[in-house]
Amino acid sequence: MYVELHAHSAFSFLDGASTPTELAAAAASHGYPAFALTDHDGVWGSMEFAHACKGFGVHPITGAELTVREGERDRHVTLLVEDETGYRNLCRLLTLAHSHTRDNTPRSQTQPWATLEQVEEHAEGLVCLSGCARDGAVAGAFERDDTAAGERLARRLLAAFGRERFRIELQRPYWRRDRARNRWLALLAERLDIACVAAGNVHSHDRRRAPLQDALVAIGLCETLEESEPLRRGNSTSALTSPGAMAARFAEYPEAVAETERIAVRLRFDLTEQLGYRYPGSEDPGADAELARVCNHHLGERYSGNARLLEAQWRLEEELATIRKLGLSGFFLLHRDLLELAREVAAEVRGPESARGVLPPGRGRGSSVSSIVCYLTGLSHVDPVEADLFSGRFLNEETTSMPDIDLDFPRDIREVLIPRVHERYGREHSALVAAFPTYRPKGAVRDLGKALGLPAEEIDKVAKTVGFFEGAEEIERNLAAALGPERAQEPRWRALLPLAAEIMGLPRHSSQHPGGMVISTRPLIDVCPVVPAAMAGRQTVQWDKDSCADAGFLKIDLLGLGMLSAVERCVEEVGQARDERLDLSRIPLDDEEVYESIRAAETTGVFQIESRAQMQMLPRTQPRDLDDVIVQVALVRPGPIQGGAIHPYIERRKALREDPEFEIPYEHPLLEPVLEETLGTIVFQEQVIEVAMALSGFSSSEAEGLRRAMSRKRSEEAIREHHQRFFAGAAANGVSEETAERVWDQIKGFSGFGFPKAHSAAFGLLAYQSAWLRIHYGPEFLCSLLNEQPMGFYPPDSLVHEAQRRGIRVAPVDANRSRVLCHVESPRSEDVRGGLQVRVGLGYVKGVKKEEMEALVAERERGGPYKGIAELASRSGAGLPSLEKLAWAGALDGIPVGSEDDRREALWRVGVAAAGRLGGSGTQLALPMEPPAPPELEPLGEWGRLIADYRSTGMTVEKHPMKLLRPDLDPKLARTSDLTELEHGSTVEVAGLVTARQRPETANGITFLLLEDERGAVNLVVPPPVFDRHRPLVRNAPLLRARGRLERREGTVNVVVADLAPLQRTAQPPPRVPPSRQLAVAELREVAPAGHSFGRRGR
Amino acid sequence: MPGLRRLYAPERVAVRTDPRGAPLLVEGVTVEAVREEWLVEDRWWTPQPLRRHYFELAIADGRALTVFRAAGAQRWYRQRA
Repeated sequence: MYVELHAHSAFSFLDGASTPTELAAAAASHGYPAFALTDHDGVWGSMEFAHACKGFGVHPITGAELTVREGERDRHVTLLVEDETGYRNLCRLLTLAHSHTRDNTPRSQTQPWATLEQVEEHAEGLVCLSGCARDGAVAGAFERDDTAAGERLARRLLAAFGRERFRIELQRPYWRRDRARNRWLALLAERLDIACVAAGNVHSHDRRRAPLQDALVAIGLCETLEESEPLRRGNSTSALTSPGAMAARFAEYPEAVAETERIAVRLRFDLTEQLGYRYPGSEDPGADAELARVCNHHLGERYSGNARLLEAQWRLEEELATIRKLGLSGFFLLHRDLLELAREVAAEVRGPESARGVLPPGRGRGSSVSSIVCYLTGLSHVDPVEADLFSGRFLNEETTSMPDIDLDFPRDIREVLIPRVHERYGREHSALVAAFPTYRPKGAVRDLGKALGLPAEEIDKVAKTVGFFEGAEEIERNLAAALGPERAQEPRWRALLPLAAEIMGLPRHSSQHPGGMVISTRPLIDVCPVVPAAMAGRQTVQWDKDSCADAGFLKIDLLGLGMLSAVERCVEEVGQARDERLDLSRIPLDDEEVYESIRAAETTGVFQIESRAQMQMLPRTQPRDLDDVIVQVALVRPGPIQGGAIHPYIERRKALREDPEFEIPYEHPLLEPVLEETLGTIVFQEQVIEVAMALSGFSSSEAEGLRRAMSRKRSEEAIREHHQRFFAGAAANGVSEETAERVWDQIKGFSGFGFPKAHSAAFGLLAYQSAWLRIHYGPEFLCSLLNEQPMGFYPPDSLVHEAQRRGIRVAPVDANRSRVLCHVESPRSEDVRGGLQVRVGLGYVKGVKKEEMEALVAERERGGPYKGIAELASRSGAGLPSLEKLAWAGALDGIPVGSEDDRREALWRVGVAAAGRLGGSGTQLALPMEPPAPPELEPLGEWGRLIADYRSTGMTVEKHPMKLLRPDLDPKLARTSDLTELEHGSTVEVAGLVTARQRPETANGITFLLLEDERGAVNLVVPPPVFDRHRPLVRNAPLLRARGRLERREGTVNVVVADLAPLQRTAQPPPRVPPSRQLAVAELREVAPAGHSFGRRGR
Repeated sequence: MPGLRRLYAPERVAVRTDPRGAPLLVEGVTVEAVREEWLVEDRWWTPQPLRRHYFELAIADGRALTVFRAAGAQRWYRQRA
């Protein structure tokens, strides 16, 4: 029977057109007993493939098609793993093949290849097939009419792999020279006295994917389909077909077909079981005792005198027993070791005098925060006993994979820590986890559009109208709106639509996980190929987090968290501006002023609870303490939303506020103990586990299995099994079928896309701390947010406007006052009067060179302020391009020459004075001589400065653009501050800058826009029919006018939009508007900062 | 455009085939051997998609011919090299 020994999945990036799982399922349905995955130069998809195959009852064969360079030419050989030695050799060969791929510049990756000598050295345990029809090591020589070279190479491979493990590969791609080539290959095999073997060189699991495979090749070559014709496959015969059809295809070579089965029988290596991975410390006999010693030592310190000491002791003993039973003591000690390393790195990065010195190097997140062992070893900063955290989700005796310990670090510490981990454990023993960016609608339109040769302008228009997270069907809906009905019918655009649907979710290339690291006792390159990452000094394994988990790898997540960086910067800024040293672990957690601001949804910039959706909810849930904030953080997630938790939770909180005796209507009394803190609703991930245990008698590991099944896409069958078990268990507990059904629906709706409580506790605390800093250290907090961009929900311009409305002063960029980063000017500085203010940094000016700005600031600090523009040009050493940009941004307005506040004059002076012009005999140096007076120039004026601000820094610290525009706008337009006074249900019209767009999957097609004017911001609710009428406007317009119904409810204000229009001046501008102002809106539209767009957040 | 004509345009030929679809007779002359057989499936993104099954034949009168049949059609064409 024919067995396929040569197949490519989508992990042959931009060549294979099906996922490994699709191939495995198709192989099973065709009745293949075994099937090989041989992706180009990698095993990226092999673990997924192996698990999928085993699930379908197909034996997975691990292999790769390796590129071999001999002389100047790259050829392919097909390598198949026979045993553990062979797998090790394959991993080493693939590592070698990739080792030089980032040699030129880290950002540009070159083709991987290994030398023939390297292949010869790593032949043991591998079966080698002579390669594909066009580029194969042997067959390729026939295609190039160089049969002598082909035979020479075949003989070398035969010598390396031996008669038992080298085969001549016959393929039948239905190309013009197939028969002649196969005749020559068969004769060559006879001369070499070895067998031929048939192979399909499969590139998709189904013939219908052939067009996509063509398109992928074109994308990979950056060519159109027409241009790429010579390198495309030319027909659909590379799709997987049945063993019978393959045998018929090779009717002239029945022995080559029979040989596929004989080889498959020998290839018994099982990737799912024979990896032999171990992590450092896993075999340390003293690890159990050492972990217990460390924990008990800290238990005494942390719980001494605490009323819950006994409970803590009991929990610790229980956790340590589970850890011992699972053999994971070394795992925890390894994490602790990493944290110690992080402590050293943090001290180095922060410096000895830093106010940040009192802060821990990082914080725990995720379910590990529920573990008392993590708390005592410093891996978490939340007391799980005090916070009543349940550790079953993190650690249970029947766990089948490594628990996850995720650590958040400020970005600067993490950047240094990752290479330091490589140093500590050795580059052969540690690497980052891979990630595979997959196609989304925008990328699909751009890549496929180019391949189809569609006009670039049209591609851009259509791509801009589809959301990042939406389905491919959105593209079709948007086509006519973007291009008009006639162009939308163009055959190439019609051809794009099915391709886009198919390409969605396929990996485009490999990348690195944000912070997941794998550490191994055995050299990692023996268990998974390691390849250089795009960032210099980093390397990744070829597997993503799911494959690493399936492989049983210990994955350590060292994540960068923008808010943690911002909070640390804020502490530092407070130290510098006020000479105060803040210890965030000691701030009061019951500050009423903080909770008042949270309840009023004044949370712009606050971690996790600043989003539009959170702001809508806060006035209704009315958080009163940290526990409420922890629930709040978890509430606005797809799980609780789809599980139907939101409205009951809000209603019950309201009922309790009105009547403290209100009785929570639990679905069943058995659920009261586990859902009490969330008022009978499922908000946290653990509650899925706890509900299954309470209602249906699941064991903790069974319930964890249910949670995992729901959080992975591949597990429909497992969910069905859990469903039966859930109903049977509920019935045994006397729960009615209807009740069990309702609770199951809540669990299913939740589907795992929620936070564990432990994670919420960690994030909730950071949310509170950031809110506390925002209230008590407003300027420093704003300053740190500006310096940590990009992060959070709002663009810098919105952060500044919101802070200004709260009375925080923000001063413009100034060459004589600004540093490179934004900073807070303290009252002690001689040139600042009346309190603290945030000074925008020179680094905010787009396009200036960082090193020039650093030199400018250093020279100013050394030699005093710049007294003139010529002096600035001469002393700072900054070139003309940077100085021009500073002039446009207004950074030279403060230099005391010429008319104050005139950027045109500064620009003129810079042009005369700056260095960098090529003269007759070289570059003109800048001399400290003030240039002559400029000609009379028209001042920019307020509006001109605003446009220049947006163009050069992306924000303005002066008047809000809507304030400047207001006199020219329709007087009927309401300001956002008017909306709290107008009648609920009335029709209103508002206008402003769009600062955020959100189209959550959970909102049934509703789009939300946040519209900002000079008084504040309002939430626009755009229903699907309005969205459909105004797609391009909703997606892209920076300035909008909206008419709709005002809805005011429980402290929230919304406008449900009935009609939208681009913002225009009134038809007849008042006569006082000068002609230069008449272009105002169009100018602003060009330069206004793009609002942030959000789709299915959290997925 | 007047005066222009396509070079090497395929010409209609009469072909009789075996049950598998391979040519047995071309213009009444027996096919001695099928030297090559290949498929071209291309231009699927245009209004004129191309799907042709080609045969390179040695026929009894000593000529070598390349013929093709378009997918879904019964007509055969001779491709002039």
